[in-house]
Amino acid sequence: MADIAYPIVDRTLPNGLRVVVSEDHAVPTVTVNIWVNVGSRHEAPGRTGFAHLFEHLMFQGSRNVASGEHFSALMAQGGRLNATTWFDRTNYFETVPKGAFELALWLEADRHGHLLDALTQENLDNQRDVVKEEKRQRYDNVPYGTALIDVYATVFPPEHPYHHPTIGSMEDLDAASVEDVQAFFRRYYGPNNCVLTIVGDVTADDAFAAAETYFGPLPASAQPPAPVLHALEPLTEPVRLERLEAVPNDRLYLAFRLPPDNTDEFFACSLALDAIGGLSTSRLMHRLVRDEQVATGLSAHGMGFVDGVSLGLVSVDIAEGVDPEVIEATVCEELERFVAEGPTPIELESSMAETERGWLSSLASQDERADAICHYALLTGDIDYVNTFLERVGSVDAAAVQAAAARYLTPASRAVVAYRARPEEPELASEPEQQEQPEQPEQPEQPEQQEVQSA
Amino acid sequence: MSEPSATAVVEVPRPAVVPPEPYTFPEGRRRTLDNGLEVVAYDVPGQYVHSVRVALPLPLARERRDIEGVATIMARSMDEGTARYSSAEFALLLERRGVALGTSISEAGLTVDIDVAKRHLGYALDLLRQVITEPAFPATEIDRHRKTRLAEIEQERAMPAQRGAIELIATYFDEAERASRPTAGSRETVRSITREDVVAFHADNVSPVGGTVVIAGDLDGVDAIAEIEAALGGWTPPPAPGSAASPWEAARVADTRERIVFIDRPGAVQTELAVACPGPDRSFPGGWSPYPVLGFMVGGSPNARVDAVLREEKGYTYGIRSVFRPRRRGGMFLTSGSVRADSTVEALGLLLDLLDGGREGFTDEEVRAGVDFVSMTAPGRYATADAIADEAASLSLEGLTTAFTTANLRDMVTLEADRLQAAYRAFVDGRWTIVVVGDAASHLEGIRALGRGDVTVVAG
Repeated sequence: MADIAYPIVDRTLPNGLRVVVSEDHAVPTVTVNIWVNVGSRHEAPGRTGFAHLFEHLMFQGSRNVASGEHFSALMAQGGRLNATTWFDRTNYFETVPKGAFELALWLEADRHGHLLDALTQENLDNQRDVVKEEKRQRYDNVPYGTALIDVYATVFPPEHPYHHPTIGSMEDLDAASVEDVQAFFRRYYGPNNCVLTIVGDVTADDAFAAAETYFGPLPASAQPPAPVLHALEPLTEPVRLERLEAVPNDRLYLAFRLPPDNTDEFFACSLALDAIGGLSTSRLMHRLVRDEQVATGLSAHGMGFVDGVSLGLVSVDIAEGVDPEVIEATVCEELERFVAEGPTPIELESSMAETERGWLSSLASQDERADAICHYALLTGDIDYVNTFLERVGSVDAAAVQAAAARYLTPASRAVVAYRARPEEPELASEPEQQEQPEQPEQPEQPEQQEVQSA
Repeated sequence: MSEPSATAVVEVPRPAVVPPEPYTFPEGRRRTLDNGLEVVAYDVPGQYVHSVRVALPLPLARERRDIEGVATIMARSMDEGTARYSSAEFALLLERRGVALGTSISEAGLTVDIDVAKRHLGYALDLLRQVITEPAFPATEIDRHRKTRLAEIEQERAMPAQRGAIELIATYFDEAERASRPTAGSRETVRSITREDVVAFHADNVSPVGGTVVIAGDLDGVDAIAEIEAALGGWTPPPAPGSAASPWEAARVADTRERIVFIDRPGAVQTELAVACPGPDRSFPGGWSPYPVLGFMVGGSPNARVDAVLREEKGYTYGIRSVFRPRRRGGMFLTSGSVRADSTVEALGLLLDLLDGGREGFTDEEVRAGVDFVSMTAPGRYATADAIADEAASLSLEGLTTAFTTANLRDMVTLEADRLQAAYRAFVDGRWTIVVVGDAASHLEGIRALGRGDVTVVAG
């Protein structure tokens, strides 16, 4: 196992802001990354999609910053920046040349402290339109685009915070008012409800001092977070939703309620999902894709959440002419076999090796490392999580993986969403194995894109 | 609507910015092996996942017309078993040490990638050697990849952006050009590919001659060039390498490319737009450096010209992007994105006006912001082993080294408005190839009425 030892220190300002710093002098840039403890799970009924719409408004100006200036001022200094919203949180981040590091903090402090000074009905209406186009582009106008929305609604009960997607509904977006924005900001935004992480070519002392200078004056304005209360047991019998859609091939999603993130049981479920369908040498890959060639695509992974439950997801793209019920039965058979046998030593070894490389790769860049540090500092309280994660996963043994599968990944506890191709439109299809991506205000930036990949 | 609780707070003055030092791309160590492979090693301290890229020039036009896509099927099947191991055994060898292996085909060549934790480098290089020099291409695996590609083709046709991209190249390039058809092949050609085709294509075209191997990562205690020589130094070129003469010519555009193709998607809630004209490659005589800046100023951010209007003012789109895409020879200036269905006609009209408007030049403020963004983001963009290796490998397929990256950035910081305007005018002349993917019943007449070109309607 790789020995990871990024230097990470923290300090909490009197106003409650936790500041985490990791020095890295390899490149003359600094990443500023802020995680706010609010996501779509906090949204009120009738206001789904609001946390994400709000995040867009954070780019529309604040007390001393004009609309759009956050983007333009930092980009003009060589900053790369964005923000994303997901079930449990919202993050804001920029990587800038070190000489612009204090400007980044000043801009962040202005909007995190004084957004409402610049809020207008016009800005809200404009960004509402932009978000609706984001929803159409990523969900409504692409095959299988709404499948994961169906998955959340099928596996989690209606009153549960993960029942609805972060993107929300058109009706709820339409209903959002300026008063909603004001109330949301006053309740959730403030230094006492977020973590500020600074990674890069700056000393810890200078980073703490700058955080104090720019964020120190902000009042502890956020209300205390609500307790986590929504523990969910696995389903006790299968539930299902069938959709007849304009898609090119049948696709099955099998979803499971998993334990919350940052628990040994969640890690064990992730290792189990790898062995069942996540690895390129997984059981389902061998059987469905390689041997029987009845599936053209396959994925399996866990999505970690904080509020009492996480999501496990297996999806299968079904080859032409193959009966989805047969595929579903095969998947169930493999789940039962895994529960009965547990993982083989080679499966565990492979899953750990893949986990290790993936983890090291995700920490290789300053900006992703800052995001990971901030993520776990906010959601688990552990600033050192990135250094200890591999050791923790590595300590999960075969018996624990088998026990977790027996509790969380049985056929009886599955929620199935089946997308069936509508026969009269055989042309239509979907994108291959789309990973879930958080909502963000801007399409990813590629200033100098390589290669003409024609289609 | 000021916030009562905040008014008492003392304002902190906006800090000044200290400009960064000029940037130089990391220096690599180079050696040419006896078999013709050029090896470049970048030591990037602290990067504990090593990235290795083997980039082999291979003009896509070497594919036979009736089996186009054979290069892609070959590339995707290279790790499906070797002289010594079955497909399943080989997959296990990769995964047990967490070796990520990927292959890709572009218009300019084949790239084989590995990413691996530092301590498994030697192990991974031996697997890399087997994949490149002794793939077994089992018939069942070729068959599987053929089927997977056929399913993927159906999926591409269903995605508005990808459907538009396929139509764009078919409309823009002369139909005799390979570039007018998808890199990974079409339904009819992929169906025709056999195992023998794949084996022959590999034997005839995958050669160390002219190829480049890049390694980037923390090389402390690693003699990277020696390790690569040990793995790939014994790879001998095939008997008749590179038979095609002078393959690197710019693909010709179609005589009929100045027109609009409307792909009908009844009931679509958005309309996908793609607008293109010729662009430069990286060896353009006037220099490449203006073009990333132009792409950024026109369509690279929410405040760039296109989105300042279509997104931030009108709310018609989540974002439209412009980019100059270089090929090995020649290039394309492409702008694409989706807009709300009921804004289709107005959005396309505005977009074309904004694109044409660049011919009138850019303000000094736009130029400064664009130059600074593209040049000053370089240290962060090239900070990781994989980004460094990718840059070096893709440039090698264009016949360049990363000295180009440094020189290009040095040239970029000298750009002024006049030179950028001239660079834009060198290609943008108002003659556009336009693809619209949306509901023809609602928008066709309006698009015609724009008067921006003849409109052909095709089924979605």
